[in-house]
Amino acid sequence: MPGRDYLGEFEHITILALLRLADRAYGVTVRQEIEFRTSREVSIGAVYATLDRLETKGYVKSHRGDPTPERGGRAKRFFRVTAKGMLAVNRTQRALQNMTDGLDLIRSYS
Amino acid sequence: MTPQAYFLRPPRIAVWLISLFASAEEAESILGDLLEEFSHLALKPGVAVARSWYWRQTVKTIAHLASAGFKVAPWSTTATIVGGFLLLRLVSGVPERAIFAVLHRYRVFEHHFNAYVFLATDGIGIGHVIASMFVGCMVALAAKGREMVATLTLGLILCALGGAAALWWVARSGNDLFLGMLLWQVAGSFAIVVGGGIVRTRRSAATALPSDV
Repeated sequence: MPGRDYLGEFEHITILALLRLADRAYGVTVRQEIEFRTSREVSIGAVYATLDRLETKGYVKSHRGDPTPERGGRAKRFFRVTAKGMLAVNRTQRALQNMTDGLDLIRSYS
Repeated sequence: MTPQAYFLRPPRIAVWLISLFASAEEAESILGDLLEEFSHLALKPGVAVARSWYWRQTVKTIAHLASAGFKVAPWSTTATIVGGFLLLRLVSGVPERAIFAVLHRYRVFEHHFNAYVFLATDGIGIGHVIASMFVGCMVALAAKGREMVATLTLGLILCALGGAAALWWVARSGNDLFLGMLLWQVAGSFAIVVGGGIVRTRRSAATALPSDV
């Protein structure tokens, strides 16, 4: 059945970080963006494991930048969300929205 | 970034550990990202904070790389680990048989008693460690791209089995002599991982990206 695939929590957060960062999205900025917005320490390994999984699913694409001296001559790996990834994030957002509709979360659980 | 930042280097062992667990391509991005953040942290909060952050990132990153490596090919990795376990069963008795064959052939017991005792106890232990390293190398050769995951898992399983067997034996017999053998068991498990590390390092050197040099 099409439209069954929802993003996991960290996949969802990572794709949203890519969308926020647009063409500046690579390991360091993605990790820092997630840390800044979620206030939880995130490892670069967790970010890459998730991005690799999303790339395998076709939700993101990556390309290499030029090597830079402050990275010891290593290249940055930039990521961007594909059309399929946009569909997945919209689907997940809608599902969450539908599930929370009518719930007064702040008053009920704070 | 100031020129000072270029002289700051992250912990070498941490860098080496990440390159053991990551593929050449993954290592290029991950080590580059870590170095970039490390340099910034070393300039602002200080080198000690940067080093501690780097080590925290290394431990978590290795855990993620290991689990991701297993998830990519769970069946072939499991088959390799089982194969390694069977191979170890096959070769683990060889050092003991070889040592006793030599001891009897040259009548070491009669002429060099101390050497006999050493070879019949620690010698067998050392032989077990060498056999384990050989098994680690074989497992790593079979698990191309997942050398460290396969050898680390096999090492941990053997360690856990050895520990459980030792505790069971001590509880049953009250004889703690078996605990000494547990040390050789742990050393054997470590040797399996070292064998994996050797193969992984050789392969990494063969497929190193220009920036890794």
